[in-house]
Amino acid sequence: MLFNSDKDQQTICALATPAGGGAISVVRISGLNTKEIILQACPSLKEKNIDSHRAYLTKIKTDRSESIDEVLVTYYADQKSYTGECSAEISCHGNPLIVEKILNRLHELGARSAERGEFTYRAFINDKIDLVQAEAVLSLIQAQTESARRVSLRQLQGESSKNFLKIESELIWCLAHIEASIDFSTEDISVVEENVLVQKLKQIQKDLQKIIINYKVGKILNEGLKVVFLGQPNVGKSSLMNQVVEKEKSIVTEVAGTTRDVIEHATIYNGIKIFVSDTAGLRETTNRVEKIGVEKSLQEATLADLCIYVFDASAGLTSVDQKIILNVPSKKILFVGNKVDQIQMSEQSLLQQETTKNLQTVACEKSTIDPNNVLFLSALDPICREQLLLKVIEDYRGLDYLNESLISSLRQHEMSQDAERAISSVVLELEQSVGLEFIAQTLKRALLSIQKILGHSFDDQIMDRVFKEFCIGK
Amino acid sequence: MNKTSYDIIVVGAGHAGIEACLATSRLGIKTLLITTNLDRIGYMSCNPSIGGLAKGHMVREIDVLGGQMGQTADQTCIQFKRLNSSKGPAVRGTRTQNDKHRYSQMQKKIITEQENLSVLQGEVKRLILKNNECIGVVLQNEVEIFSKKVIITTGTFMNGVMHVGLEQTAGGRVGDSASVGISDQLASLGFAVQRLKTGTPARLDKNSIDWSKTTPQGGDEIFYPFSFKSQRSFYLPQILCYLSHTSEKTHDIIRRNLDKSPMYSGLIEGVGPRYCPSIEDKVTRFADKTSHQTFLEPEGLDSDLIYLQGISTSLPLEVQDQFLRTIPGLENVKVVRYGYAVEYDFIEPTQIHHRLETRPIKNLFLAGQINGTSGYEEAAAQGFMAGVNAARSILEKPEFILERDQAYIGVLIDDLVTKGTREPYRMFTSRAEHRLILREDNTIDRLAEISRNIEIVSEAHLDELSIIKTKREKLHTSLKEKTIYPKPEINATIISMGSTALLKPVTAEEFLRRPEINFSHLSAIGFDYIHDEVVTEAVEIQVKYSGYIQRQYEVIEQSKKMENQVIPETTQFFLVKGLSNEEIDKLNRVRPRTLGQAARISGVNPSAIQAIMVYLKGYNKKLQDVNFEKNQRQLSPKSE
Repeated sequence: MLFNSDKDQQTICALATPAGGGAISVVRISGLNTKEIILQACPSLKEKNIDSHRAYLTKIKTDRSESIDEVLVTYYADQKSYTGECSAEISCHGNPLIVEKILNRLHELGARSAERGEFTYRAFINDKIDLVQAEAVLSLIQAQTESARRVSLRQLQGESSKNFLKIESELIWCLAHIEASIDFSTEDISVVEENVLVQKLKQIQKDLQKIIINYKVGKILNEGLKVVFLGQPNVGKSSLMNQVVEKEKSIVTEVAGTTRDVIEHATIYNGIKIFVSDTAGLRETTNRVEKIGVEKSLQEATLADLCIYVFDASAGLTSVDQKIILNVPSKKILFVGNKVDQIQMSEQSLLQQETTKNLQTVACEKSTIDPNNVLFLSALDPICREQLLLKVIEDYRGLDYLNESLISSLRQHEMSQDAERAISSVVLELEQSVGLEFIAQTLKRALLSIQKILGHSFDDQIMDRVFKEFCIGK
Repeated sequence: MNKTSYDIIVVGAGHAGIEACLATSRLGIKTLLITTNLDRIGYMSCNPSIGGLAKGHMVREIDVLGGQMGQTADQTCIQFKRLNSSKGPAVRGTRTQNDKHRYSQMQKKIITEQENLSVLQGEVKRLILKNNECIGVVLQNEVEIFSKKVIITTGTFMNGVMHVGLEQTAGGRVGDSASVGISDQLASLGFAVQRLKTGTPARLDKNSIDWSKTTPQGGDEIFYPFSFKSQRSFYLPQILCYLSHTSEKTHDIIRRNLDKSPMYSGLIEGVGPRYCPSIEDKVTRFADKTSHQTFLEPEGLDSDLIYLQGISTSLPLEVQDQFLRTIPGLENVKVVRYGYAVEYDFIEPTQIHHRLETRPIKNLFLAGQINGTSGYEEAAAQGFMAGVNAARSILEKPEFILERDQAYIGVLIDDLVTKGTREPYRMFTSRAEHRLILREDNTIDRLAEISRNIEIVSEAHLDELSIIKTKREKLHTSLKEKTIYPKPEINATIISMGSTALLKPVTAEEFLRRPEINFSHLSAIGFDYIHDEVVTEAVEIQVKYSGYIQRQYEVIEQSKKMENQVIPETTQFFLVKGLSNEEIDKLNRVRPRTLGQAARISGVNPSAIQAIMVYLKGYNKKLQDVNFEKNQRQLSPKSE
């Protein structure tokens, strides 16, 4: 039997709960031989006729009939399980040694270790879940924070699919009208006016744009937000860092250039995971080690979702600062004037005006800079964490995660972008009165992208729609 | 018993049968054409016209490959139209209205005069089979005729039943009896046989119509014949058609009598075409439409008959009389032949190969309505392909298959054998995913070289086609080479054309890309070319829409990966993990040649395609591993 050794034919098993702890651990097993393997591992079940969706308290034993652990086995019959094939869950005591022994026993009996995401893959190929759901499951497994988990859950329940299904159906409607006016141009059918089509498409485009923007939010929920501190030496980056992560992570001294390597640490704020990096101060230097540090700082900035440029508020945003800012390779920069404790309250508003003015000059050369994105604080005051992080997550806070449909995989994001681009071309083409057959081609591209997200095939839906909408016939 | 024998027997002399027998005999194969009625060869049972969108495309394709339909349509054309000529440059379609009698006469004459071709009037009762191979046919009078191949093109005649009101008569067309026997025999051999329905409107006496109440409709003045062999001016005088319409009054009568319609009383089980609904259907399904248009089309120059396009019906005769008279112009109309519906058997086309030979029975080919299509052009295309393939098989040449990116004919056959059909299948441009490159204007570019391999069209004719192709290429090159400079007098001319002045020098090609500019503008600014639409049209479209066309080619390139991924004939789909029973069933029924074809089977999901792809990869890898091990074994012994 050449094909029985095929990967997908094999029975797989894996620990389903996080490794290394908890009161109980769950080992999952799925595949053709699940029942056989379970019955051999748990001999006392042999007398019973095990039913689907029922839990059995039993002992799991080695091949020499030595008891490994007392476990709860829940069995799921073919078609009725998560993976769509025969499977079982073994709940055992949460001891890594026990788990290892159980897995070893299952391996002996012919099950192999599942690869990452393989249970979900099987659920997908057995048509238990669609592609969007499959991807949601994978991100649910990886969800590191509560809000990410909630988004993943929503996708799993088909919310995202619903959104894309609506877009799909509307694109099909538009295409049906275009196709009808091409193929049945000699019949007296009244297809929709082009401006109605344009309006409809613009709405779809808006919906897609929202999905695309939300993706960035989704990505941050799943993967966290990367923030990098930049600035001249000794402006207090490390002090700020320590406040933000609430730990003494960076060494703080009076000596400029203390931090030479990139130091990263994570914190969670408002349910969002934030990775903060402290970097070496940016200055001209002859010290080889420090020079490497400076290069590393700039490199780190290219990876960041947000750069926090820290400057000494008591000195203001100097011309050196301005020069450095021009070289910061980041799209988004938040300017933080530190050490406000060293200046008079009365001078603060003046300082603010001056900083903004200076930034406006920089913005003339670097258009991505927002001269109003400035914050003044003191790293010595513990409230600075709240002040700073509130500003950091500003863009993501206004969004209601539960009411916005979000996508979280790169694939869905790319496809949505493709669709959005195609639709924007269609709108343009309609306005320029390009031939409908060309417009149809572009529109089909958009539809195809949406159908790829949904895992739908490109069927005869358009013609079906044409016949439903129009009275056609010689 | 006297054993008569031919190389190929073609059963049926409709539009499919004609192309089939002409293709085989023109390839030098001794062919017999059997028809039940010698007077109905190439008969237009329904509308008296050829072509239209996507259909016109196929007629041109058939023509370049060596078929007959285009020439006969050109020579009997009494009204000519190019559809979508103002908009939709890449989806222009040619349609001729034809003199029905002359069309049939010409086809009959060509068949009678064709070398290697004999014609016999008779009815085939059954096929002669031996070891799942077809070796001939038996006629109604028990005469046996043997052959190497049999091509069946029986149209709507297999177990045909005509319906008018609640009355039924056996027959495939008014005046012709049904053929019984073949479809029952095929069903008994295990073929899936299904029912379809189609209908035709009434034919009216021209002299009983008040033409003043209708709107005359003329055709185009410039003739672009289907066939490259045809002359460029009309062969026959051109006539007018007339437009009229139904009203609420008409619809009321129809609604009141729906219980007498075989469609609505449940007498008809066959599925009718959605794109060609009966007037009963239109009135019921689109209740809010208060009027439907109808064209009154003369059936010929000397004919008194008018075809009433758009009003196909199977209501009882007296109801037809009643509702027809509510249509302006038809107040006192005399009906010569009433409308009727016909139900017939078709063979589910997923049971045939792309070469149109059946999978269960060797040497048996099916073409035309028997495969579930509708339309003369769809039939002719299949007939031609079946003929060529049957002949090539005898000549021991490889099968001839057109791909979906080469011709509408390729789309037609691939759709049929892959998806089957639930309603009479008609070609639409939207069925061709690559329609921007499957244009009428570039038929020569697409198919002339392929035609050379078929060897029906003469070398001399093909050389003519090559010359056109070369002229197009030359013209395109000269467009690229010619520079237009923004001189004041040139810009003045350009502005007078309604375009905007040039700011820098551009090539003529770039200038032609401007939406408001076409070839006729170019001579005014000093670009000389030969004014021949046959040459300029294709080049203009190529230039103007190069971006779109380029993208289409890229898509084709991408799909090639799937199209080239062959699924070995020995593949057992039940071994592929992740397929549903339904999918396994469908894959087994269609037996796709490639992954690309598998993906087009309706009901086979993308996840299934993924699964097959994964399976094939494993399969190929296993083959490699086996080979690798073999090689290892061959390499290693020395060390032992």
